[in-house]
This record gives sequence, structure tokens and C-alpha cells, in this order.
Amino acid sequence: MDMLKIEHLSKVYGGQVTYRALDDISLTIEKGEFVGIMGPSGSGKTTLLNLVATIDKPTTGHVWINGQDIHKLRPNQLAKFRRRELGFVFQDFNLLNTLTAEENIVLPLTLEGERVKVMEEKVKRLAERFGITSILGKRTFEISGGQAQRTAIARAIIHSPKLLLADEPTGNLDSKSSRDVMETLENINRTDGTTMMLVTHDALAASYCHRVIFIKDGKLYNEIHRGDNRQAFFQKIIDVLSLLGGNAHDLSSIRV
Amino acid sequence: MSCLSWGGMHMTFRQFAFNNVLRNKRTYAAYFLSSVFSVLVFFVYAVFAFHPNLSGGSLNSSVAQGMFLAEGIIYVFSFFFVLYSMSAFLKSRKKEFGLLMMQGMTSFQLRLMVFLENILIGFFATLSGIGIGLVSAKLILMIAENVLDLDETLPFYVPVEAVLLTFGAFILLFMSISIFTVAIIRSKGLIELIRGSDKPKPEPKASVLLSLLAVLLLGAGYGVALWVRGLMVAAAMIPVTIVVIIGTYFLFTQLSVYLVRHVRNRRNLFWRRTNMLLFSDLSYRMKDNARMFFIVAILSTVAFSAIGALVGFRSMTTNIFVLENPYAFEYTSFPSNTADAEEQHIKLIEQTLGEEGIDYRRVSGVLRLQAQIGSDDGVDVIGVSEFNAFAAAAGQKTVELGDHEALMLYYTNPLNVGRDAEPHQLQLAGADSVVELEVIGSRESYLFPVYTQMYVLPDQLIESLQEPVRVLRYHVFDVDNWRGTREAGRQLSEVLRGSQGYTFFAMAHVLHVLNQGFGAILFVGFFIGAVFFVAAGSFLYFRLYTDLPDDKRKFAAIMKIGLTDGELSNVITKQLAILFLVPIGVATVHGAVALTALQHMFNYSLAKESAIVLGSFVLVQLIYFLLIRVRYIRQVKGA
Repeated sequence: MDMLKIEHLSKVYGGQVTYRALDDISLTIEKGEFVGIMGPSGSGKTTLLNLVATIDKPTTGHVWINGQDIHKLRPNQLAKFRRRELGFVFQDFNLLNTLTAEENIVLPLTLEGERVKVMEEKVKRLAERFGITSILGKRTFEISGGQAQRTAIARAIIHSPKLLLADEPTGNLDSKSSRDVMETLENINRTDGTTMMLVTHDALAASYCHRVIFIKDGKLYNEIHRGDNRQAFFQKIIDVLSLLGGNAHDLSSIRV
Repeated sequence: MSCLSWGGMHMTFRQFAFNNVLRNKRTYAAYFLSSVFSVLVFFVYAVFAFHPNLSGGSLNSSVAQGMFLAEGIIYVFSFFFVLYSMSAFLKSRKKEFGLLMMQGMTSFQLRLMVFLENILIGFFATLSGIGIGLVSAKLILMIAENVLDLDETLPFYVPVEAVLLTFGAFILLFMSISIFTVAIIRSKGLIELIRGSDKPKPEPKASVLLSLLAVLLLGAGYGVALWVRGLMVAAAMIPVTIVVIIGTYFLFTQLSVYLVRHVRNRRNLFWRRTNMLLFSDLSYRMKDNARMFFIVAILSTVAFSAIGALVGFRSMTTNIFVLENPYAFEYTSFPSNTADAEEQHIKLIEQTLGEEGIDYRRVSGVLRLQAQIGSDDGVDVIGVSEFNAFAAAAGQKTVELGDHEALMLYYTNPLNVGRDAEPHQLQLAGADSVVELEVIGSRESYLFPVYTQMYVLPDQLIESLQEPVRVLRYHVFDVDNWRGTREAGRQLSEVLRGSQGYTFFAMAHVLHVLNQGFGAILFVGFFIGAVFFVAAGSFLYFRLYTDLPDDKRKFAAIMKIGLTDGELSNVITKQLAILFLVPIGVATVHGAVALTALQHMFNYSLAKESAIVLGSFVLVQLIYFLLIRVRYIRQVKGA
């Protein structure tokens, strides 16, 4: 069954010089799949993510999430759709610095009017699972980047979303924390069966995916599947990236 | 592009500072506007104070002195206001300063830049303030003329003195503030500057003891203010004010922090819907807010109390006046007045009223001062039928008296204590024998020009009394629409100056003259009250727009996760409501207590006036809140 289905999606930015950020993209992600999107800077991968995240509207084309044509929803329905059906992980964590880690995690549920008991139980379980129990009472500026991102992941999945969207989740992290975060995501995918779409520059992060889709200049360029060996998959990703051109320094070959 | 317009790459430092201001209009706008506002207030006030019709005219010197004192207060206030705006403005530019210093700008150059900017802004703010003032002066003069019912017209004039004073005063003000600011810019670590205001402030700690103290101080202050009566109010005023100010300070810095923390710790409340967003922000900004709440509450209280007291005084004097003078015109003829003159005067009055087309009822009567048995003082008496005619004209109840009955009338007013009387005996000297009367009751009366007690007697008994010691003939002209008799009153008062054995009183005219004197004082009071109130509003505005970037970032983050427009409006509305209405709410309570104390001092109910003044302030604040709310929500969404 398709969790995400994209058909003939295009996005043109207006203004004095029109700019075609996405050009007729079609792809599907099946339920339980973990898919990476890669491409050089300016290739349109973030635009694609924003369209799927319902933060932006396409010029033409359709996006279905779990069978629902999301761009037919009204703004308020969209907001509720995002916080019920989607989970987000951002490069800059997007945590509120006025709240503690625990409060950040339960925020989507408080907006839904969930009971305190239920929220407390869920936080406790997630915190234990991600090893952040000790920092639950701390404010966001008192914890490390890795802890912040795991807190953000906990927030993203506390309501058991249908689809988890991650935008460069390792972009602000050192390699140890990056690996922790990717293992956490992989673990969620495997244990909970959550469908995931990951946009990244980081070949190491992409190597955790089942499949990596490459885009260039707003068009699909290539697609590779992971076999049994993550090491070999990582190498394949590096190869495609060097073919793609783009910026060589984007590639991190040292982290394996 | 920008370099080309300067004809090359050579941009001097002065040009840099200049361009920096012109090209960052938005950043500078708030600071600039508040400076313009200060200048405008000062200038418009000066236009009044120097108005030839006011300063040279009917105002006496103490009022004129008061007006200049008020100008001084506005100046001192402007100084702090500009200083506050300045520091808020500099705070929002930390990042920019950090960037400039990283590019190698020296500390001296940074100071020079800030100084030049300030001078530039100050100069243009002064010019703009005076300019706007000149344009709007005519309008404001007209409003003042009408609202205050001034006789002296306030025509527009070229206020050279006001322009010079304002220009000089504010150039001086901006110079000293620039020098002062430049002197205190601390070269903080570069890293801190670049991070700007991102670094979260620690939450303030609240002490239970001081929170309790706030409750105690406010309770004690209110208690004393509401309990004291009469002259004690004046004695208690200063200590109570001090206690309440300290109490208010702790209320905002301690008690409110304590309460918000309490909410934070109660998950059933804090983890409910949008409460988390609302209260976390409140506690996060508590330290800044507390100080601002305090300033706004005190400023508003001053405005409320000052204007409330002035309006109360005016209404009190007017009401007493109207109450004590039930007739539109009164003519009292003393024994030294000739019957001829009296007749002529009455004719003149009737003729003038006729010419002016005023419907009137004339009532005449005789007040006789009769010798009293057992007392050296005589007492005034009037026959019951005459009394009833006067009472009917004044719209009061008439009386019926038995053969040997009398009614006592006494005079009282809110400023002194009335003399109520038990029924008692009255013995008057009759023509042949002592006339004994039973006083069946007493009544408060302002009908006659007698300011002690007097008696109403049966008509036939008057005849049997001794020859009166003194006779006053009293004529009144009752007019339903007495307010419309001002012009007739003015004309008559000019002729009937009341020198030889008579007095003439035209109520509408006298009231008008009375109000003229009040006008100037009221105006000054209104002006200062309004300035304080508007200033309180601007403090709120600054506070809000310092927080706007933070709010934008925060709400953008939550919108991505999924926050509906309704929820966003809800949080922001509550947040703004607290910001705008809590300090004003506290000020309203303070003001109400102050006005109640005042009311106890004069033993006169100011409830209506207080309600009107406080109500209109609250209404204005509500409108302000609603306008800002719409704008702010739009701006946060527009991130």
C-alpha cells in the first residue's frame, strides 16, 4: 500500500525571474518504507519536502498521503492534519526554548487536548527508549545537540504519525550524535513500522535508508536500493553523488 | 548599486552612519516615532502655555506658574521616555553591532556611529514633532476651546516662543542622551553581541515572603485609604501612596511570578491545549514584563487619579452650585434700596427676559428678621403661602401648617456639616404678647439667601408679630431651561452690578464664569493625564515589538508542526490581553480606591464621575488592545 504518492508535481516560484524548483516529479513511498532524498544544493529536495509537509503549495500536480489529497484540505484542516498524521524532524531541532524537553515532547498532544496521564506515560516510554530520561526537566539550551534532536524525534512520533519527515536531521550534529540519531530513526522505522522520508546531504545518514532517490535541477535523476550491506550502499551513494556533481565538500566520506 | 549612487567606492564614515539610518528605516521607526511623540507633546503643550490669550488674559499668575511647572514635568518625563526607547532600540541591534565589530570596527567608531545616528534621529524627530504640532495645533486649540467651554477664543497664532523653546529643549535633550548612551555602551564580548537576544534569560525567582508582603501592603494601603474620613484623607495620602507603590512593585515582580510558576507546576492546567504556549512565554518574559507592568500601572494610576479628581472637583462645585441656586435669576432688595429702584430693576429684568424670548415664572416674597425671645439674635421668617410659591417654583414639596406650627429651614452643603434639628419650641416677640410656635420639623433648604436657620410661619401669624428688625424683598425668576439664559444674565449683570442695597444673581452667567477659571486647570490636568496614559501605551507597544522577532520565530516553528490559525489567534490574544489589560486593571482598582478616598474627604459622591473617567480610560485601552491585536497577529503570521 502506498503511504505517499506524488504525481507530476511541479513548483514554480514567481517573481521577476521565474524559477522552476521542481519539474514533474512522480514517486511513491510504500507503508513502512524508509526513503532518502538526496541531491546537490538547489536541486529542489527541500521544496519537495515542504510540499509533502503541506507547508507549501504545488504549482501543478498532486500529493496523496495515506490516500488523502492533501492540497485539497483547507488551512485549518491542514494544521490539524500535520499534527495528527505527520511527524517532523528539523535540522535546527525547532524546539521551543521557553519549554523544558518534556514539555516540548508533549506539545502536539496538549494541542489535541490529550489527558495528562496519557501524555505522561507516553513521554516516559519514549524518553526511556531514546535515553533522554535524565534531561526531561531541562530547558533546550541546557542539553547537547544530540539530546535535542532525540527530544525532537520523540516529539515527532509521540502521536504515532503515519509519515515521518526529516529535513537534514544530522546537519547540525557531530558524527557520534549523527549516528545515534540515525539509529534512533532506523529503530522507529523497524519497530513501529513508521514510514519515513529523509532529506539529507549526508551520505552516511542516507545509508540508513531502504532506498535513496536522487534529484537534480528539480527532476528525478536516479534511484538506488540498499541491499543487505550498508557499507556497500554507502559506497554506491557516494558514487552517484560524484556523478551528480554538485559540491564535493558536501560529501562526507570520512564518517564510516 | 548603492556605491554607484555615491559616485564611487569612497563612502566616508559619516555617510555610512547616515545611510545606515536611512536604509534601515524599519529598525529605527519605533525609536524615531517615540521621539517625535515626545517632541509633539511638549510642543503642543507649549503652544497653549504661550498662547497670548491664556498667558496674558484671564489666567492668574499661579495658574500660569502651574502651567509652566507642568511643562517641566513633561520635559523630565520626555527625557526618561526617550532614554527608555533608546535602550530598547540599542538592545535590538546587538547583532548588528557584533557584526560591525567583527568586520573590524573599533569601539570608538561604534560609539561615534551611535552618536551620529542619535543626533540625526533627534534632529529630524524634533523637526517632525514641531511640524506635526504646527499642523495639528489649530485642531487641538479648537477642541480645547469647545470641550472646556472657554470664553477666550484661542485663535491660531504663530508660536515663535513655543517653537524656539521646543527646538532648544529637545536638541539639548538628544545631545545629552546621545552622550550619555555612548558613554554607557559597554563593549561586551563579541560572541555575546553576535548571539544577540537569542540567549534565553533565566526565569526570575519569586519569594513567598515578598509575595505575601505585596498582598499585605496593598491590603493595608487600600484599607487605610477606604477607612479614613474627612481631613484624615489628606494626612494619609502620602504614606498610603508610598505603601501602595511598593506593594504594586512586589505584586508584579513577586506575586505574579509566583502565580505563573504555580500554574506551570500544575500539569492539569499547564498541559491543557494552548496554555503551555501562553504561560511558558509569560514566565519566560516575566522579568521584563514585571518592570514594565509596574511602570504602566503607576503611570496609568496617576493619569486616572489626576483626571478623576479634577473632573470630580468640577462636577462637585457645579453640582453644589446648581443645587444651591434653584432659580435662574435672583434679586434681593435690602432695606437701603429704594422702592423705586427696586421696581425699575425688576422691570429691566422682565423686559430683558421678554426681549430674549425667555419664558419665566416670577415669584416674590418678603423675608422678615424677627426678634426671638430668649436670644439676642433675630431669626428670619417667611409666610407659608409665599414659601409654597418659592418651593413650587423650585420644584420642591409645599407644606401645610396648623395655626401655631412652624417649619425650620436650614442650610447645609458638602463642605460643611448640616444642622439638623429635633422638633422644638420657638418663641417670637409678638406685637402684644409672646407668640409661641411648635416647630413640627426641619428641612434642608437653599431657596433663600439666608445661610443659617429660618422658619416658615402661618400667614396670619406674621401679621401679629412685632415690627421686623429688617426686611428683605426677594424676587426670583424661575426658567425651565436655565442654561439658555447665559446671554441675558451677562447683559443684566453688567447693568445690575449690585452696589446700592441690592444683589442680583444670574445663575447661568455666574456658573459660566466659574467654569472659565476651572477650564485652564482642567486643561493642564487633562493634558498631563493624557500624556501619561499615552506614554503607558507606548511602553506596551515597545515591549511588544521587542518581542515580535522572538514570537515570529516561535510561532513559525509551531505552525510547521501544526497550529491552526484559530489557536494562534487564541494564544496571541490572551498574551496581549494580559499585557494590555493587567496593568490597566490594577491601575483602575488603584484609581477607584483613590477616588473613593477623595469622596470620603469631601463627603460627596463622585461615583458617577469616577465611573465615567475610569470607564473611558478602560474603553480607550480596550480599543487600543483590539487594534494592536489585529496588527500583531498579522505580523506574526507574516513571518
